[in-house]
Amino acid sequence: MIKQVENPILEIHDLTVSYDQNPVLWNVDLSLPGGNLVGILGPNGAGKSTLIKAIMGLISPTSGYVKVFDKPLNDVRARISYVPQRESVDWNFPASVLDVVLMGTYGKLGLFRRPGKKENEIAMKSLEQVGMSGFVSRQISELSGGQQQRVFIARALAQQADLYLMDEPFAGVDMATETAIFQLLKEMTEAGKTIIVVHHDIHSAMNFFDWLIMLNLHLVASGPKELVMNEEMLRKTYGGKLNLLTRVTDLIRQQDFNPLKS
Amino acid sequence: MEDFIYFFTFQDPSIAWVVLGITLLGIGSAYVGTFSFLDKKALLGDAISHAVLPGICLGFMLAGEKNPVYIVTGAFLSGALATFMSSWLKRNTKLSEDTIIATILSVFFGFGIVLLTALQKSGNPEIAGLNSFIFGNAIGISESDLMLYGGLSILIILVLTVMLKEFRLMVFDPEYGKAIGFPMKTISFLFNVLMILAVVIGIQAIGVVLMAALLITPGAAARFWTDRLNPLLILAAFFSVLSGILGTYVSFVLPQMPTGPWVVVFLSLFALISFLISPKSGMLFRYFARKKYLRKTHRDHLMKALYKAREEGKRGLTIEEIYQLYPYQKSEIDQSILDLIKSDFISKNQSFIILSEQGISDAMRIVRLHRLWELYLNESMNIAPDHVHDSAEQLEHLLTPELEALLEKRLNYPTLDPHQETIPREKS
Repeated sequence: MIKQVENPILEIHDLTVSYDQNPVLWNVDLSLPGGNLVGILGPNGAGKSTLIKAIMGLISPTSGYVKVFDKPLNDVRARISYVPQRESVDWNFPASVLDVVLMGTYGKLGLFRRPGKKENEIAMKSLEQVGMSGFVSRQISELSGGQQQRVFIARALAQQADLYLMDEPFAGVDMATETAIFQLLKEMTEAGKTIIVVHHDIHSAMNFFDWLIMLNLHLVASGPKELVMNEEMLRKTYGGKLNLLTRVTDLIRQQDFNPLKS
Repeated sequence: MEDFIYFFTFQDPSIAWVVLGITLLGIGSAYVGTFSFLDKKALLGDAISHAVLPGICLGFMLAGEKNPVYIVTGAFLSGALATFMSSWLKRNTKLSEDTIIATILSVFFGFGIVLLTALQKSGNPEIAGLNSFIFGNAIGISESDLMLYGGLSILIILVLTVMLKEFRLMVFDPEYGKAIGFPMKTISFLFNVLMILAVVIGIQAIGVVLMAALLITPGAAARFWTDRLNPLLILAAFFSVLSGILGTYVSFVLPQMPTGPWVVVFLSLFALISFLISPKSGMLFRYFARKKYLRKTHRDHLMKALYKAREEGKRGLTIEEIYQLYPYQKSEIDQSILDLIKSDFISKNQSFIILSEQGISDAMRIVRLHRLWELYLNESMNIAPDHVHDSAEQLEHLLTPELEALLEKRLNYPTLDPHQETIPREKS
């Protein structure tokens, strides 16, 4: 069940991504309408983070392309905000909460210019939105996992973008915080922003998202929640990997070169 | 003493120059080194500093004399080759990073030593000065050398200052940098160039063997004192400059002494002191913090024993009874009694000890925390009542008033713990 839309805010065309020569996403082809809270669901190793990274251009695809706001990615980077996984950085880095959130303003500042008063205000406002105003000058290693996650979300907010891509922003976050952040994201989508979230909990996904993308090495479903959230789709997503696909992947890996690269 | 005054009053302009040079060098290398330390690339600095030796020798061969421009260029190119090779090997082979770095370091340094030995056999009278590149000789630096090394140091400091934000991003979250469209590859290439330059500026004063220490140790020592990047950079530079000047002084007083090893001795001293006495992360601080905490646990246990005695209807306990409750802890008990009398929590009449008003309230809190935690383990985590005591024994000293309030709320202000003992509260 893959629903394509007219005038999509994000268009992924026939995207195949491999690490070294190990394909982890096969021919993903989807389009998303704007102003939605979109969840990416799938089991471990389904390629959820890979899809986000490919959209952000952090991994170059083996084939296919991505268009955002009907333009190539590099033309619209300022309008896209990215929240990486919390574990992807070393939180012992000597920095305060404010230092990290200020990084959200770097994109608009460009090279060489330093954040000033205006950027500070943006950062403070973003921290307020995620309920972290009380931690402005706290050393980041002293924060709990959930607080670190909120700092990352605040950094993304400080970017003042139109499209947000978040990789597991709720990992290690307690229920109360999760609900509060979902509330915030809902308000943002009501204001016309589009938010795409990699998520692992089907239960809360049912409650919060408008649109769901289900992955399991290939695209299982993409569409409004009511349309795609059914037993068949869930079974295809979580019911184990396709045996044949796994064997083809193994075959490709055993080659001495990457046969998918043209 | 005379030497000391002569050196540090800078009467001799050549000493003033050398000190200025070593100061710039110290700031520059500490600055770059702190970033590479934070980026966990300390070993790369070591590899580069060893790898510049063949370049120095080749530069000397080409110039036929100790021409600083030839030598610096040679050193830079050979350092660049080593850096390039290590990243190429990492990309194109399955070798691990430590293998690659160890190999590059020894291959380049070995080749450098071969060249150096060959040069020494050639009988060129200028060759004597070349030996100082191994362990460094700050005093032997000429003014024209200084111009070059100092100029490069200033360049490094300027670039790092202007691009502080970019390098911060490179170390903390390069992927995010890429996502917002920053040219992260160029930034990290530029950083590698600065790193090689930072090694090159130190070859004359510190020497290739020990230059890595001047890159990494200042940042590592300063990290004990601060959690912020800017103070970290400043403190690292301070350690580095101070060690540089002290090392130079030693090789001034004892002319046969190479500078590099002495700089490293002073640096290590600062690192050791930081490791021992810095607040929060220093060894001594942690030792005393633990000791203080243990003393509190002993006091808490004593108070608890007195409170339980009250529950059984006794007014207090004799010292002998307390000794029996906690055998082998006589001296700790004596200490706790002294502490608690001082803070008016207990009073002692001959050998009979009773809790004061204030003591009762505090002891009640400890017992309450203990029993609340036992109940929480039992109710919320399904742990059997006979398995909950040990954990509660540790957490009763630790739980904060906020957590206590949370526990109370979560357990709905319970009256009994899993062992059917009353959870005591103040009467309101």
